[in-house]
Amino acid sequence: MGDVKAIQLDKLSFSYHREELLKEVSAGLSPGSLNFLLGRNGCGKSTLLRLISGELKPTSGDIRIFGRSLHTLGSIERASMIGFLPQHYPMQLPLTVEEVVLTGRYRFSRLNPSKEDFRATLAVLEKLELLHLRTRNLGELSGGEQQMVMIARLLAQEPRILLMDEPLLHLDLSNQVRLAALLKTLGKEGMTILAVVHDPGFAMAVGSNILGLSNGQVEPIRQDDPDSLLTSVLSRIYKTEIDIHRMASGIPFVSVNLGAL
Amino acid sequence: MAVFSILLFTACFRSHPGETDSPGDAIVVEDFRGETLSFSQPPRRIVCLIESALSALYMLGADSLIAGVPQSVYKADLYPWYARLDVRISKREMPAPGNWDFVSLESLAAIKPELVIIWAEQTDVIENIERLGIPVYAVMLHSFEDVHKEIRDLGTITGREERARELLAFTEAQKKTFRRQISGEDRQRAYFMWSQGVLETSGSRSTVEELFQLAGLENVVKNQDEHLVINKETLLSLDPDLIIMWYNEKLDPADVMTEPGFSQMKAIRSKRVYELPSVFACDFWTLKYLNAARMVAQWAYPEAYSQNDSLLSESHLMDSLYQFHLKR
Amino acid sequence: MHLMKRTFSILLLILVPVLLATLAMFIGPSGEGGWESVLEWIRWKTGSPADAGTHPELTGLILWEIRFPRIMLAFLTGGALSLAGVAMQAIFRNPLASPYILGMSSGAAFGAALALAWGFMPPQASAFLFAALATFLCYLIAVRKKKLAVLHLVLGGIIVSGIFTALLTLVQYLSDPFKLQTIVHWTMGNLHNANNTKLWTSLIPAGIGVAGILIFRWRLNLLSLGDQEARSSGMNVPVQRGLIILLATLATSGAIAVSGIIGFIDLIVPHMVRMVTGADHRKLAPVSFVAGGCLLLVIDTLSRILGSYEIPAGVITMLIGAPVFIFILKRSKIVWGT
Repeated sequence: MGDVKAIQLDKLSFSYHREELLKEVSAGLSPGSLNFLLGRNGCGKSTLLRLISGELKPTSGDIRIFGRSLHTLGSIERASMIGFLPQHYPMQLPLTVEEVVLTGRYRFSRLNPSKEDFRATLAVLEKLELLHLRTRNLGELSGGEQQMVMIARLLAQEPRILLMDEPLLHLDLSNQVRLAALLKTLGKEGMTILAVVHDPGFAMAVGSNILGLSNGQVEPIRQDDPDSLLTSVLSRIYKTEIDIHRMASGIPFVSVNLGAL
Repeated sequence: MAVFSILLFTACFRSHPGETDSPGDAIVVEDFRGETLSFSQPPRRIVCLIESALSALYMLGADSLIAGVPQSVYKADLYPWYARLDVRISKREMPAPGNWDFVSLESLAAIKPELVIIWAEQTDVIENIERLGIPVYAVMLHSFEDVHKEIRDLGTITGREERARELLAFTEAQKKTFRRQISGEDRQRAYFMWSQGVLETSGSRSTVEELFQLAGLENVVKNQDEHLVINKETLLSLDPDLIIMWYNEKLDPADVMTEPGFSQMKAIRSKRVYELPSVFACDFWTLKYLNAARMVAQWAYPEAYSQNDSLLSESHLMDSLYQFHLKR
Repeated sequence: MHLMKRTFSILLLILVPVLLATLAMFIGPSGEGGWESVLEWIRWKTGSPADAGTHPELTGLILWEIRFPRIMLAFLTGGALSLAGVAMQAIFRNPLASPYILGMSSGAAFGAALALAWGFMPPQASAFLFAALATFLCYLIAVRKKKLAVLHLVLGGIIVSGIFTALLTLVQYLSDPFKLQTIVHWTMGNLHNANNTKLWTSLIPAGIGVAGILIFRWRLNLLSLGDQEARSSGMNVPVQRGLIILLATLATSGAIAVSGIIGFIDLIVPHMVRMVTGADHRKLAPVSFVAGGCLLLVIDTLSRILGSYEIPAGVITMLIGAPVFIFILKRSKIVWGT
């Protein structure tokens, strides 16, 4: 059982309007791993997440979640395994933060939330330091606060896998740090996380596992490779010249080679 | 039609022999829906929501049985006439719980009617009135014969068969004077214009057709529809000799004569566009069709009717029908 | 404390409409249904002989055959339309949505007109069928590749409304002035023709719709967050949305088939209630049902007693609704999504 992957992609292909976005992608993510997916805009990162969430059907190939084929899972069973955070656009919805987070409990209570659901909601809000926003309307919050609320909603669902499409979007620096810490804690608690980010530095500093998506292929990016090799891999993925700098602590800082302009 | 005649026949027959008031000899009438109504004695509180039928009740002299009237009676063009017919209306004391498109059920029920007279088309309202246990005499008028049946039925219901027969005999006599006078002359061709619009008219199965026949005219519209809207070009090609307008608040004959495109029509060139001047006095859902027919005939054949005095004038006709001299 | 507040709210939701309905039973245009007559009727019912000059039997008829069905139907119609409005706004994630955007009102109006003009079936049945048909046509237009596109549904509604409005005009054009007037009257609201049979005809479909939406009301919170979010939380979005639309169709068409077109209630009541309760559908749905019911009940009672000639309730709701809606438009956020 030890080598059952949380997410196993098996020769996964996906075409959209005759364009092949993913070509026989195979990869496996271990339970409790913290994975980041890098790639250029439009290369298929969101598509890959939507495939794993079951929202899209692959053209060919298979996705297995903890050894079970994704398409054999019912809606509720799938929600118990996978929580998906779509790219968030700020909403004007006049629901309160608590009511929004409570909806994440749908898989536990289908008609009316139970006491346990309220308790779990409060616990998540506390964990994410959002309790003070509990009775505020979602529409009144800033984009970053809304993003944190949507992440709280996802956690209230208590899935085993988190798929997050650009969770850093709208977050200020302090919230980015809080999210990084949260993801690390969740990873330690056994949660498998796959997140799309645009900052390779953030990915390398926080993640245990980094994947690059380009030309329909997924390749692992090994952090212990020498910087010169990393630079050429990232430059290839982004089709742009990339510079890697190291802080005194060894934390990488990635920038575009503006000198090349 | 056969069934209709039989019903008429039985209705006449039943009311004919007796006029005794024994309980076994109930009043039985079949209304225009084919529903049978029976009464052991004439209903004492009648709410009549049709203005033309209300006129019939007053012609029959059933004034004392009337307990409610249609709202239209209080409108400016009808009020003076009904005020003359009934003190309660002139004092605006007679309840008016509705009219032909709207009825306040509760106001109606409060009158405690023993009979409601209403158009057969108002099925929703009829259903509700009958649910309250109030009998309904439903009316649907497509011909002068229907107008006659209504008079006969209402005469039977109100115990005034004799007056009903008198009215019908008078009408028949009047109609004969028409036929005598227009024979031999070239028939004029006429177009009838309803007040809803210049192109709204009636075809060959309508009271308009009968009105024209009585007045010795030919209806240019040959369609069978009772009410229809025709094409402007069709009207031009039909080219009537004269145009008869129903009472119209918006248009006068002068307006029709200047209607764009009409200028070449025979009726317009000879300035023969006429408007029936009164909703009340020309109503051909009542025996007053005689009055409308007289006007139309005089417009169509001015020479023939100028030296004729066998036709009754409007005031004489009204008095014969309503017996105004007996009121007040 | 929380429990007490909850119990109090529920009590309020039941007591207010019951009180209003009882009050409305005592009010009417005729002398036979005023306070004294109703009290006289109660005395008579409880065994006392009727006083001379009173007509307790007639009062009984007016109370139970005329006022009762009308009051109940007004409440049911107002409530069902408001609740369907709440459901549609959640599903379309748009506070401007209403059951009428799926062409239901024009479908119902055409159905009723067709039956009124040619009498092949009762106008209520025909209105119901065509309201449902209109929604179904919208659905057919909106489904692409087995998926329901919300924008297409709204566009479908515009097209279907257009078609049925054109057909309605055709029927009106072909009808004689007599029937035309009846049709126009029906489309302005028809509560004055209520009776107990019609109340039941309406109660069955509208009741199923209302009960269903109330049962599933919490799910509307999740649906209003968006498709992906709802799906992620384990909801089968197409099935759930189809179910809610079906229930809203039942509620709306059941109500308007008997009561005629009553405009704006479905749009303004959810907004007004939302200002008080917030958007949580667990509260919003039941409160909107009761508030919408009470509002139409009050409007219809006013239309019964103001003047000898009744103004159709649909006209009053339009006249009151439009300025209220403009007020709401000015002060609240209109778009929920992006």
